[in-house]
Amino acid sequence: MARRLFAPLLALGLVLSVAAAALPAVAALGEPVASVASDTKALAATRRADTARQGYTVHELATGGSVVREFSSPAGVVFGIAWQGIAEPDLTPLLGSYLTEYRASLAETPPARGRRSQQVIGAHVVVERWGHMRNIRGRAYVPALLPSGVTAHDIQ
Amino acid sequence: MTSSRFLVAPALALLVLGCPGGGGSGGGTATFSISGTVSGAVAANVLVSLSGKETSSATTNSAGAFSFTGLPSGSYTLRPTLSGYTFTPPSASVAVNGASQSGVDFTSSVGPPANVVPITVNGSLCSSSAYMNEPCVAVTICSPTTGACQTIDGILLDTGSVGLRVFAQLLTVPLTPIASGTGQLAECLQFGSFTDWGPVETASVVLGGEPAASMPIQVIESTYASPPSACASAITDPTTAGFNGILGVNFFAQDCGVDCASTVGNGVYYACTTSGTAACSEVAAPLANQVPNPVGLLATDNNGVIVQLPVVPPQGLLSASGTLLLGIGTRSNNVPSGVTKYSVDQFGGFETQLGGVQYPGSFLDTGSNGFFFAAPDPSQLPACTCPTGIPPSECADYTGWFCPASTLSLTATNIAATGSPSGPVSFSIANFLALSSSLNVFPDVGGPDPSASDGFDWGLPFYFGLDVYFGLEGTTSSLGTGPYVAY
Repeated sequence: MARRLFAPLLALGLVLSVAAAALPAVAALGEPVASVASDTKALAATRRADTARQGYTVHELATGGSVVREFSSPAGVVFGIAWQGIAEPDLTPLLGSYLTEYRASLAETPPARGRRSQQVIGAHVVVERWGHMRNIRGRAYVPALLPSGVTAHDIQ
Repeated sequence: MTSSRFLVAPALALLVLGCPGGGGSGGGTATFSISGTVSGAVAANVLVSLSGKETSSATTNSAGAFSFTGLPSGSYTLRPTLSGYTFTPPSASVAVNGASQSGVDFTSSVGPPANVVPITVNGSLCSSSAYMNEPCVAVTICSPTTGACQTIDGILLDTGSVGLRVFAQLLTVPLTPIASGTGQLAECLQFGSFTDWGPVETASVVLGGEPAASMPIQVIESTYASPPSACASAITDPTTAGFNGILGVNFFAQDCGVDCASTVGNGVYYACTTSGTAACSEVAAPLANQVPNPVGLLATDNNGVIVQLPVVPPQGLLSASGTLLLGIGTRSNNVPSGVTKYSVDQFGGFETQLGGVQYPGSFLDTGSNGFFFAAPDPSQLPACTCPTGIPPSECADYTGWFCPASTLSLTATNIAATGSPSGPVSFSIANFLALSSSLNVFPDVGGPDPSASDGFDWGLPFYFGLDVYFGLEGTTSSLGTGPYVAY
């Protein structure tokens, strides 16, 4: 009997965590920071604190497999996303309208054999990944949306 | 109590030898025997394992004879093993069809110690689609159900990952799926330059001359079930990959570890149903079901590995040969000597410093074919420009490498994750475009990582002329407790 109680408790925990995750809103790349509530929810993530930096704000989320940081401009537009963890987050909700361009660029990027890193450079969006098993890293950004005084190096 | 237990043990031993495991020999069904002899460099005390319709094992007597009795008709595979010896043929297939079979003979010869796994960098153990500075080994995979075995070469030796993975196209022996949720276990992994998708299945794995060990491995199969979006563009085939599989043998015991055992949405492990089109769902995977470091599952020589590769001259070589030694200080051939141990952090990293820059997430990786890092001074280490006449789609083969005006000699410092010890590492970066296009193995090659990368990727050239140790987590050797690297 004691063992059977675990399943309902686990299920309850899942429902609570999904409900908590749905509250905050962080946007996809190129979209207003407050406009999309579905992003955090789509990643089943929990929201962490926002951090104001010189010229931009960092919003941090935690999924089961990674920490995701979204970088927004003073105008409230997300210009970059970075991640670190045991797995890459699902980029579908994070790349937003840039997903199609990224996928097309990825299909044309030959496999970099013998390497732990990859750069996928599209007309508008850049996706980079590096690291190794248990330390998977990467970022995506739109160069044209970088606020003045902010460089791609800040997105990590 | 003591005396009665003592009596039971010999009785059990007789049962095991006389009656194949799995039972089924009673009830009036006719049974038969398989017998043979081992001769040559050694005859006595050779372990002969039987698999197929029934599973059993027997040890040869002083004359080299062995026999299995009580076998129903069916197909069987026999495989002799003894540490330090090799056998011809390595295994024998025997069909029992209403009659006993005798004369299943093997010849023994003195072989390398069981913990020796040969490596070739390019060369004979690599596939025809190998790339520059690729270290290859061969691994034998056996079916847990039929006992049939196959040896697959062209397996990338990778100290940057954990676990054995083999392309589905190459597997000819049936493996056993692992149940998870309402389906079967699969996983999606990022290897930086590619993603890897496929089911996790149980296999019996033979490394070097070690006895087979049962463990989960990944079957690389991009079309398996309905992959999650992160693995929608997973690597498809050995020719594209440049290898037939991956043998990951760094210092961790499983590919993911406790994070994937405790968290459902870990992004690595999935449960899939192979009928219908339902998407695979994220699952937590118990440590025992995760893809393990195969070395940790060995009966002996299971506390780590040593990678030994020769010095390679600056002008390069066509190929090179080396050795993967299983175990650290477990035999006369793997006793640590003249090396310094560096502990690693929970992500497998230590710190490198170069040119005033700190790289806290640094690692020693045979699966990388050069020194890869964000250069402290890009003007000193510019990326190559794409030669004229090269189509844009192939430019990354050139712009991904450093092209200094002349060969640049550098000295970095490696620092253990605990802060000490530390020690210098000298290396060189040559102009990539000046290398011979007819050779495959080069010591002085490197390329730029994304500028945000805070890790120094010490790829295969780091290993040339060194013995590099990987101490497995949770085990000890005279060097200390894993996880650690030493060189």
